[in-house]
Amino acid sequence: MMTYIVFILSVIFVISFVGFSSKPSPIYGGLVLIVSGGVGCGIIMNFGGSFLGLMVFLIYLGGMLVVFGYTTAMATEQYPEVWVSNTTVMGVFLLGLLMEVMLVLYVLKSEEVGVVFKFSGVGDWAIYDTGDSGVFSEEIMGVAALYSYGAWVVIVTGWSLLVGVLVILEVTRGD
Amino acid sequence: MNPLIFTTILMTVLLGTMIVMMSSHWLMIWIGFEMNLLAIIPILMKKYNPRTMEASTKYFLTQATASMLLMMAIIINLMHSGQWTITKVFNPTASIIMTSALAMKLGLTPFHFWVPEVTQGISLTSGLILLTWQKLAPMSILYQISPSINLNILLTMAVLSILVGGWGGLNQTQLRKIMAYSSIAHMGWMTAVLVYSPTLTMLNMLIYIMMTLTMFMLFIHSSSTTTLSLSHTWNKTPLTTTLILITLLSMGGLPPLSGFMPKWMIIQELTKNSSIILPTLMAIMALLNLYFYMRLTYSTSLTMFPSTNNMKMKWQFETKRITLLPPLIVMSSLLLPLTPMLSILD
Repeated sequence: MMTYIVFILSVIFVISFVGFSSKPSPIYGGLVLIVSGGVGCGIIMNFGGSFLGLMVFLIYLGGMLVVFGYTTAMATEQYPEVWVSNTTVMGVFLLGLLMEVMLVLYVLKSEEVGVVFKFSGVGDWAIYDTGDSGVFSEEIMGVAALYSYGAWVVIVTGWSLLVGVLVILEVTRGD
Repeated sequence: MNPLIFTTILMTVLLGTMIVMMSSHWLMIWIGFEMNLLAIIPILMKKYNPRTMEASTKYFLTQATASMLLMMAIIINLMHSGQWTITKVFNPTASIIMTSALAMKLGLTPFHFWVPEVTQGISLTSGLILLTWQKLAPMSILYQISPSINLNILLTMAVLSILVGGWGGLNQTQLRKIMAYSSIAHMGWMTAVLVYSPTLTMLNMLIYIMMTLTMFMLFIHSSSTTTLSLSHTWNKTPLTTTLILITLLSMGGLPPLSGFMPKWMIIQELTKNSSIILPTLMAIMALLNLYFYMRLTYSTSLTMFPSTNNMKMKWQFETKRITLLPPLIVMSSLLLPLTPMLSILD
């Protein structure tokens, strides 16, 4: 099972995405987001990215999703929608589940999947050994590069997030 | 809206388009598109009524879908070429998906359905920004990937856009919807020549933006959003009736006005590349556009409908001062003699 752990985790990932895309009430969407965040962290860690997996749990689940959970709890309705309460939601969920099952069977039958492009196996984050400064992993070097060579990306994404908050406040403010 | 917040959000719209136009990394281009989309939503929703909110929602949904398709094309390109630099697109599938995504952003057929509805639901100034500035970013990306665009798909979308833009505008009396269909048709003209000569696409974009700016400013000046209220401009500012006449005929592509220049150049470039039926069809379908422009000029400048006597002495409130209007009017009607200067672009 351990050789297929990434595949199993990615199937659970997609099923939880289907779970919140079928639009139950937001609090249940937050529930499957937690599951998908944890499973995504597992996928990243299997490729050797322990730092980024920790980031997912701390910042994404522990920061953003907690804030989302609190705001949803403030705006909750009396009878929230579950997946089995509404025929439409259950229908969409079952449809997504069916698509995922068919894809899994296709992947398990043939060596490689060729839907839009050929996809057979995935790579790993390489571990460099430069000799003079020891061994370091590519994934942490990527994070370091973001703050040195990629300073413009940090500025642009930071500004986008700030303007996102301003826009949301402006849109929900009303007259 | 708080003026400081409004300025910040407007500057972010500009910044988003600038990032799209000057980035060499596909991911930054996608970020630029998203920044642009996010920041223009409150500008579309400046007045708080259900119509603007519905229009903003429709705009957001279509543009977000287009951004998703763009991201998918970027990733397929990455898988096949291994690099993020924006040059030509290395895989035909990625090229088709990217062309469809950019066509959705521009409002080309068959993705044109959002343009009239969104333009109608928002105010005239927001519609101005929507139909002019928002076209710059997708067009710049189309310009940069033009060597690798599938010719059949792009020409089909262009010709269908010219047809839909002409045919759809025939039954309209609302000015914003007329401008929306005019935008669809002009985008069709621009993308038809993209593969043959991208310079002419940029020329057409420049002249189209000038003419659309002029038209919208004339509408804002007389505060008219329907054909009926436009036909009362003889009463408010008699001079603008002549200016509306000239600018509308320029948009229709009549010589000796500026609007003829891009159409002439495009037809010439297409015939030089041995396609004769296509520019003939395009020129014939542009006549549909000309028809509803002429109908506007007929009711505005050429005819004064019978009216009661007290209407002839209309109370004049303070007229809006629109600074850029005179230069724009001059540029959108008198640029045709400068056509030989296009030789410097080669």
